[in-house]
Amino acid sequence: MLLREVDYARPATVEEAISLLAKYEGARPLAGGQTIVNVMKARVAAPDVLVDLADLDELRTIGFSSDGLLEIGAMVTYTQLMGSSEVEVARPILAEVASTIADVQVRNRGTVGGNVCVSDPTNHLPPLLTTLGATFTIQGGSGERTVSAEEFFIGVYVTAVGEGELLTKIGVPPSSGSGDGFAGVTIGKHGTYIVNAAATISGDGARIALGCVGATPVRATAMEERLAGSDFSEESIRSAADGLGASLDPPSDVHGSSDFRRHLAEVSAVRAVSQAAERRTGA
Amino acid sequence: MMDAPARSRAISLEVNGEQIEMEVQARRLLVHFIRDDLGLTGTHVGCDTGNCGACTIHLDGEPVKSCMALAVQADGAKIRTVEGLAAEGELTPLQQAFNTHHALQCGYCTPGMLMSATALLERTPHPTEEEVRYALQGNLCRCTGYVNIVEAVIAVGGSA
Amino acid sequence: MTTVTEQPTTTLKRGYVGQSIPRKEDRRLVQGLGTFFDDVRRHGMGYVHFVRSPYAHAKIVSIDVSKALELEGVYGTITGDEVAIHTDPFFEMSVEPGGNIKDYALAVGRVRFMGEPVAAVCAATRELARDAADLVEVDYDPLPVLVDAEESLKDDVVLHDDAGSNVVWSGVFNWGDVDEALAEADHVVKIDRLHFHRFSSTPLECAGALVEYDKGTGEWTLTCNHQMPGVGAIWMAPALRTGIDKLRFVTHDIGGGFGNKICLHPQYVVLCLMARKLGRPVQWTEWRTDQHTANAHGNERTFLDVEVAVKADGTMTGFKVKALDDCGAFPRYEPLGCIIWAQVTPGLYGWRNIQVDFTQVCTNKSPVSPNRGYSRMQHLWLTERIIDIVATELGLDPVDVRKKNYVKAEQMPYETPNGCFYDSGDYAAALDIALDLIDYGSIEQRRKEAASRGKLLGFGIGSTLDSGTNNFGQSTLLNPDLQFSGNNEAASVKLDIFGEVVVTIGTVPQGQGHETTAAQVVADILGCPPEQVNVRRGHDTWFNSHAGFSGTYASQFAFTGLGAVKGAAELVREDMIQLAAAVLQAPAEAIELADGFARIKDGPEEAALPFMALGAIVNANNAFFPPDFNPTLNHRYVCRPNFGMVDTEKKTGQLTLTYATQIHAALVEIDPETGEVEIVDYAAVDDCGVRINPQIVEGQVHGATAHAIGAALSEEFVYDEEGTLLTANFYDYHVPHAMDMPPLKTGAMESPSPVAPLGAKGMGEGGGGGIHCIGAAIQDALQAAGKAIVYTSCNPPHRVWSMLQDPEATRANVEVVSK
Repeated sequence: MLLREVDYARPATVEEAISLLAKYEGARPLAGGQTIVNVMKARVAAPDVLVDLADLDELRTIGFSSDGLLEIGAMVTYTQLMGSSEVEVARPILAEVASTIADVQVRNRGTVGGNVCVSDPTNHLPPLLTTLGATFTIQGGSGERTVSAEEFFIGVYVTAVGEGELLTKIGVPPSSGSGDGFAGVTIGKHGTYIVNAAATISGDGARIALGCVGATPVRATAMEERLAGSDFSEESIRSAADGLGASLDPPSDVHGSSDFRRHLAEVSAVRAVSQAAERRTGA
Repeated sequence: MMDAPARSRAISLEVNGEQIEMEVQARRLLVHFIRDDLGLTGTHVGCDTGNCGACTIHLDGEPVKSCMALAVQADGAKIRTVEGLAAEGELTPLQQAFNTHHALQCGYCTPGMLMSATALLERTPHPTEEEVRYALQGNLCRCTGYVNIVEAVIAVGGSA
Repeated sequence: MTTVTEQPTTTLKRGYVGQSIPRKEDRRLVQGLGTFFDDVRRHGMGYVHFVRSPYAHAKIVSIDVSKALELEGVYGTITGDEVAIHTDPFFEMSVEPGGNIKDYALAVGRVRFMGEPVAAVCAATRELARDAADLVEVDYDPLPVLVDAEESLKDDVVLHDDAGSNVVWSGVFNWGDVDEALAEADHVVKIDRLHFHRFSSTPLECAGALVEYDKGTGEWTLTCNHQMPGVGAIWMAPALRTGIDKLRFVTHDIGGGFGNKICLHPQYVVLCLMARKLGRPVQWTEWRTDQHTANAHGNERTFLDVEVAVKADGTMTGFKVKALDDCGAFPRYEPLGCIIWAQVTPGLYGWRNIQVDFTQVCTNKSPVSPNRGYSRMQHLWLTERIIDIVATELGLDPVDVRKKNYVKAEQMPYETPNGCFYDSGDYAAALDIALDLIDYGSIEQRRKEAASRGKLLGFGIGSTLDSGTNNFGQSTLLNPDLQFSGNNEAASVKLDIFGEVVVTIGTVPQGQGHETTAAQVVADILGCPPEQVNVRRGHDTWFNSHAGFSGTYASQFAFTGLGAVKGAAELVREDMIQLAAAVLQAPAEAIELADGFARIKDGPEEAALPFMALGAIVNANNAFFPPDFNPTLNHRYVCRPNFGMVDTEKKTGQLTLTYATQIHAALVEIDPETGEVEIVDYAAVDDCGVRINPQIVEGQVHGATAHAIGAALSEEFVYDEEGTLLTANFYDYHVPHAMDMPPLKTGAMESPSPVAPLGAKGMGEGGGGGIHCIGAAIQDALQAAGKAIVYTSCNPPHRVWSMLQDPEATRANVEVVSK
């Protein structure tokens, strides 16, 4: 419950934040704090310096890029996502999933950037953003780069954001007729996921990603391939999912064995794909 | 000039309408600042992982868990705690409803429940049962099974 | 909410008693103005943090506190070595071998569970105390770990060398003739194994205390949240080598207890030593993870080799079972759990032949302690599982089989095979109310409807008893040398100078509304509104308002607590009448107390004295009293129920006094693809006799139901093989939140207790009805998908899924031998 000593700074600009992160070894950005403060309370991690991003208003915006990409600032909260008309128009699944993350209080503080940078395998957004084909803009001392979800999520608590760098925004293509689905099993309603699956079906076919079955979101590529040209009937979705579980190597823990997670992965994938199929408007 | 990292920071914030200026350690949790440094002990601590919601306060009008924020993060903010609800000892309709509907037993979760429910009613004056349960999901109670809490909040909405 | 209230059959005069008057406690609590122990500050106080063992079982090779002491702001430390010098081991209740266990306030030489305190540090701030705790260097030499009770039984590894065995206690309880019943049965149903899991009520406020030592008097004051200070003092004073009068316990508001705050004496002794050593007030607040890891779990119990005697018509005549109870690393209060289940030996059923071979062992897990439904809940779960497994196996209807086997209303008061008296109740009628609430007639239709959505619907009943008011004489069944019997509770009532009615109670409430219900009782007796009655908050040993076993536990407030309040109020009433008769010069029989006045019945208006006048005369203006006239308006009363002695040979006797009934019924839907269970309909019917305050009673029913639902579906303390607790926080140990809880329908009956002072039975604990009915409903649902038998009390999705995958594994547990 009680934190180790830590230094704290609250920069006024992104540039200042990046220079602080670069200058101090063991510095970590502090976004909503809904994970890192907990981790520090348990003294599992103890950064030497916290760089609070609270004043970086430019990271709190939701808008569209010139080429029509939905751009979500890293400091956008879940509550903001839920109330955003841009999100509602462009990719409502983001608000829908955000509304099931933890609880009101956590949604008021927790941020999109924090959720993905923590890269907790049970988090909601990593698999969802993976299927949505999101891009992640990372700013460092020497400029900006943009990476895909596959490049962004590297391991448990590890992402492409390096030392002295900051995730500034996430780009999500608008749905344009595609359908998005999200399903899984939680510990209590809106609790931590035991397994989850996200799916997107567009003219290019299905993209499916699973959470809680590996260190990072796992793409169900074989199932995606089997769904190419599918009519997305329940039967065809189920048969496409066949063998998905066997292809995975999920962890065992107190909430489920590896076998149970393999099974839930198939069930969740079927449900997410079915939901996505129902929601297609461009089909 | 860039703000250099420091172990402590002079913060200035408004708490229940009163302006506070204080030097706090960077590691001080907001809940301990409120309870130990300001002596506002109505805000409680029920867990150490941000699950229970007993420490819920309003930060700039939004319910948040004060055990998952540092006091320094509240620099410049407006805070309302349970002590800020009843002006001059006049209970709010919600506090009154908690009494009438027997929505508390040990009373330990109650301040957090009231802060979450107050925020809900400010936004949604006539909530449905589903909306009430959704708004209170982040507040654990081990005495009531939530039955009378939900009933009390709905009743306030109905009488508003 | 549906409330069905049967016409009360009581003849008691009702005034404020029986009304749902809003609670007096609430006004401060809804404003955040309650006072919980952690809210109290003292000048110069230090904060204590415990250094805890990361191992479940290890030798302590060395402890080095020097680095901690070097840190600025650290006031001092205490280690196990100092504890061993300055204190004696706590009193053990059991006979040998368990009685030889040496239990100190800190680990001495060896740790026996993960999270066990090995040292304590005290510093100027909470944060510094934890920093210093991190600097204490402990060198451990790990030992083999026992996390399974059956493994413990083998004694290959022994936790306590002084005991020489892991067995704390064992004994055979044998009533009637179970072998004959089995021989004469038409069917014998055998169940190899059932497991009641580890969980606890996890009160939202964790444990803690602020302890001050007065060097001049040698007295300690503990501002704390111990829920049974009398028993705490019995443990602590001898360990501290002092008298009980040197320990002053003060409680204000307590954030829930549920039994989990009864075994705080080890930590409190460390705080006492620290306060004395440092000469300053010291404060300790337990954090949630510590609470889960190392405070108080409920009993985990495995039932082996169950055999049930069933007649052709479905009448069950008896059962035998081996019960193996896992009490964790130290027994503490716990050997009593080996006995307390016997209060409800036959459950609600009429079988007369029962044999229980009970053994309790230690393991390298957190010590257990009383937990809502303490020890009876485990046994009632067994009886309910038996009923439903027999019903499933023999194709009997779960409603019919219950009604056939329930003790009948006309048999009340009913003497159980072990000499307890079920005082009143009509179980079949209560079941009918529950069935109505849940619309039992529509179940098959709803089952079909659920099936059309791919869901498995199941229905289950949980019928339980909440036995109230312990006869501590039952401890002699554990250890005949123990000098405990009976029970008592104290209260004092006075009328003060300005007419204030002031009540003190010994009951240390933790949310049960005692300030309100005690005021209702006093108001009726003294003839004034409850608002005029000030019931003092909490407990203070110095008020002398307590008795030896004071506390709120074992569902006894309605009997002993209110019995004491009633007794004291009646003594004050008698004084008021005598005084008014003297002043008004009327016979005592002509005086009535009403509306805040003592007055002559049907007399002139001026022939009335306000309470203020009575209080002022006795307290401040009494020189005119004749020498033999001495009303004090200030009385203490001890309510001491009659139990009689326990027969330690036959293991019979009146172990408790009142039996409230709970009949719960649940409809669940299982998602067969995921194993998720959703409660779609739920009814809880409670019969606790006269309800002093129906709203408070209903609140207790809601709370007990929520605990049971949590326990049935998600709350479980799970250990790995190394003895690491895997569910040490509210993420992994999931308690129901507002969205998890189904709508509850509640119903009530009132079968007044013929033995209780107010006809009211204790009822706060409930009997875990939700655990039983949800388990039964899951089993019912699974009959359409492989016919699995529910063998454990906690069924989260992964376990339900396993039962769906391999129902035969569960069925292999059960065998029916028919003639």
